[in-house]
Amino acid sequence: MVPTEAYVALSGVMFSIGAVGVLTRRSAIMIFLSVELMLNSANLALVTYAYQWAEAGMLAGISGQTAVFIILSVAAAEVAVGLGILVAIFRNRASTDVDALAEVRL
Amino acid sequence: MVTFVIMAVFSVVGALGVILLRQPIHAALSLVGTLLSVAVLFVTLQAHFLAAIQVIVYAGAIMVLFLFVIMLLNIEEQRRPVMPALRWAAYALGLVAAAGLIAGALLDPRQAPDAAVVRETLQGGNAELIAEVLFGEFMLAFQLVSVLLLTGLVGAVALVQRGPPPGGATRADATRADATRADAARADAAGQRSGGRPPDALEAGGR
Repeated sequence: MVPTEAYVALSGVMFSIGAVGVLTRRSAIMIFLSVELMLNSANLALVTYAYQWAEAGMLAGISGQTAVFIILSVAAAEVAVGLGILVAIFRNRASTDVDALAEVRL
Repeated sequence: MVTFVIMAVFSVVGALGVILLRQPIHAALSLVGTLLSVAVLFVTLQAHFLAAIQVIVYAGAIMVLFLFVIMLLNIEEQRRPVMPALRWAAYALGLVAAAGLIAGALLDPRQAPDAAVVRETLQGGNAELIAEVLFGEFMLAFQLVSVLLLTGLVGAVALVQRGPPPGGATRADATRADATRADAARADAAGQRSGGRPPDALEAGGR
């Protein structure tokens, strides 16, 4: 039987890798891919805790999985808008380098 | 246990590929590998419905959208790497974060639950149970997500639209152009009726 800790540790490792990707890549699309990785590790942690707490009853076990369902929808909306922005920027600049977009910041 | 180890290795290797491979296409395909291994891990955690959703929506729809945009924009590998000192600092930070998260996970005193009990409770994480919670406890979140998806749809369409945005001015211009064209046609018809040659004469002249 695999302990819950192993899943959570794997999720933590994936999240850290995604965070490093966000910090070290320049292309906006690579940053997006890394953010997807971080979202996925959070999903894995939620499903793991849903499994851990399933003994406490049906609602405790399933609500974690339902949260994953909602995160998935948010990720889909984020990707649609993010890639739309990326296409619009690329059309004007012919580049996805985030350093070239310094004036977008607040 | 064996499944977990194999899929953990796959997902970590895929995740490292995402941040280390230079070509965006390779990185995106590497992320697809990670997503599929996470889907297998979902199955081992009695979340069969989410595993299916993960494969269909994440690996199927979202990653195809990513690949589509990468190929459409023909994004090349990055030429100017990030400052080396900054990069090593980011790697060090990631290592510290990973070590901290692993330590936090391992120091947790709770025991793994009894698999048989979990399987009975979650019933394989089936869609019926998720629907019960989603349309009960999570109703507000569900509706907010619906609004979010609709907003995202409209936003994406508005962002990638070419040319002047549709608005009052443009529509008024189009109406005016239509009116002008209609006026011209009416004037033509009137001119033909009054001053022009009759149709049969035109026909005869044509012959």
